[in-house]
Amino acid sequence: MLNIIVCIKQVPMVSELPWNSKTGTLKRELAQGMMDPSSRLALEAGLRLKQDPKTEDQDIKISALSMGPPMAEEVLHQAVSLGADQGVLLTDRRMAGADTCLTSLILGEYIRKFEPETDLVLCGSQTSDSETAQVGPQLACELDMPAIGWASDIRLCGKSVTVERHVDDFLETLEMDLPGLVTIDQAAFAPRYATLGGVADAFETPRVRIVDAETLGLDKTFNALKDSPTRILDVYSPTTQKENRVMKGAAKTVVDQLFKEYGKIISSAMGKDLKK
Amino acid sequence: MDFNPCMKHQLVRKTVREFAETEIRPHVAQLDREGRFPTEIVEKMGPLNYFGLQVPKHLGGAGLDTISYAIAIEELSRVSASLGLCVTVHNSVGVYPILAFGTDEQINRFVPELASGRHIGAFCLTEANAGSDAGGVETTARKTEDGYTINGTKIFVTNGGVCDVVLVFAVDEASDQGRKSKPAANVFVVEKTCPGFSVGEIEDLCGMRANPVSSLFFEDCEIPETNLLGKPGQGLKIGLTALDTGRIGIAAQALGIAQAAFEDALSYAKERQQFNSPLSKFQTIQNYLADMSTSIDASRLLLYRAAAAKDSGGAFSAEASMAKLHCSATARTVTDLAVQIHGGYGYSKEYDVERYFRDAKVTQIYEGTSEIQKMVIARHLLTQPS
Repeated sequence: MLNIIVCIKQVPMVSELPWNSKTGTLKRELAQGMMDPSSRLALEAGLRLKQDPKTEDQDIKISALSMGPPMAEEVLHQAVSLGADQGVLLTDRRMAGADTCLTSLILGEYIRKFEPETDLVLCGSQTSDSETAQVGPQLACELDMPAIGWASDIRLCGKSVTVERHVDDFLETLEMDLPGLVTIDQAAFAPRYATLGGVADAFETPRVRIVDAETLGLDKTFNALKDSPTRILDVYSPTTQKENRVMKGAAKTVVDQLFKEYGKIISSAMGKDLKK
Repeated sequence: MDFNPCMKHQLVRKTVREFAETEIRPHVAQLDREGRFPTEIVEKMGPLNYFGLQVPKHLGGAGLDTISYAIAIEELSRVSASLGLCVTVHNSVGVYPILAFGTDEQINRFVPELASGRHIGAFCLTEANAGSDAGGVETTARKTEDGYTINGTKIFVTNGGVCDVVLVFAVDEASDQGRKSKPAANVFVVEKTCPGFSVGEIEDLCGMRANPVSSLFFEDCEIPETNLLGKPGQGLKIGLTALDTGRIGIAAQALGIAQAAFEDALSYAKERQQFNSPLSKFQTIQNYLADMSTSIDASRLLLYRAAAAKDSGGAFSAEASMAKLHCSATARTVTDLAVQIHGGYGYSKEYDVERYFRDAKVTQIYEGTSEIQKMVIARHLLTQPS
């Protein structure tokens, strides 16, 4: 049996983001959740390993693991509908507000205690909401596992994996003994669609387990929001300000004015000093 | 009483929406312009269980409940009413009657291929002289030594141009000779390979242009005895049951069209500037949007109630008719207002609301006109114990 854990995050649905236009911040309470696209690719990588004819004789179990609010249970049912064998949601008010450091610590704590036989951990390279790309590598540190980031292809060879990744203009092939952790590049695969029978199955035989802080054995004084070493000071939507100006007058006057006011920008764009 | 959708229904919606937005949306305007049935998209939908939404898993279906079914049709129709129509007709009046009235042999022979989408199903009742009045059906079935011979012409058959299996409503020729009483009606499963079966030209319709609606011809069409659905003379019962189920699907389709038109209208009202102000700042437009949204919500509640009634195993005929009546009226008024809010652009094929406007009308006509729905509802009211 080869045990694969796929870390999955629920993120706000990009197309339905309710922004507060006055403050430029996301109204998270109104945002619809979706499976982070990068996490979905990690799941796809796991499902492809499981369905690879070359690993047919190997019994592979895929567990989708997430930490988040209770509503994140949905993405775990989605993972099961896509083909994961089970889902686990780590949720508790005391876990809320965890930064990437404590998220990795909590995920690591679960894997150590409840899934010590894990062979391979798959993560997305970076989630669509915060894009830190930190949880995967930090989780590998927590679990004291080797890790490879930004994989575009992954193959199983017994108890090791062969991973390909693009580095600048090169294609790098690496081999890593398991247990280990791999993060999957965002352009690696086209994820599959869930079958509607898969969705029905995911709810007929519930395979999503909820684990709280107490079950996880976290210290009673643990409070992710307070204990996180990093703080997000601000999240805002970048705004671009465009201004159209019409310069009027004789051609020479307008050109002189143009170069007087915008000469530096024009020089920079043309790559030469226009004064010379 | 919980009005919030459960997690399963939310996931069904997201799953269908993702597929529809990604695989159908980019092609939908062109399909409408060309009046082309997208076989390539249908082939992708088959393995994802869209053609066996409520078919049990052991027969290759998704095994979903009726609310999930309604949500799936709503979401497909939100993007393409023509494909929503194809899927709902196939599932509700093509496959469901075989599951409900077929023998084990018929179910095993027809349903797996239909549920996989490799075969497309259709249902035909309407004729030149029979539509709302099913009693006017002139297509006949004559009992022969080996089976039945069907003769007649069916018109406006949804999926007609691509159907592999079609349920045909026909009257017993023997019982029709010289009698004043209504002849016995039967429903037959006709395969396109049956001798004497042929497909007419694709109809040039106002809306639903990516669905190959056509006439079907039965000229001494010979079918085996084992293709009679249900017991002899049970045709009317099968037809009415199929239509009750079909009405939930058409209500869902109408709701999807209305939802799409509303979303576009809301978005346009916020963007379009007139008199130095977005349209959405004008009270008249706000009233339109409020009316549209309220009608859509009311439609959705009626639809899910009908679907839940079907799932509970009780009678759902009146609920299905109310849902169909209200959802289709909503689709008409909401698409009308959406065009109005878009002004001249709404009348242009450049904007999707023009297509929604054309697609909406027929939801008040097929699977029982609005007038027939009112007859069904009134009959239900007047036969209830006071």
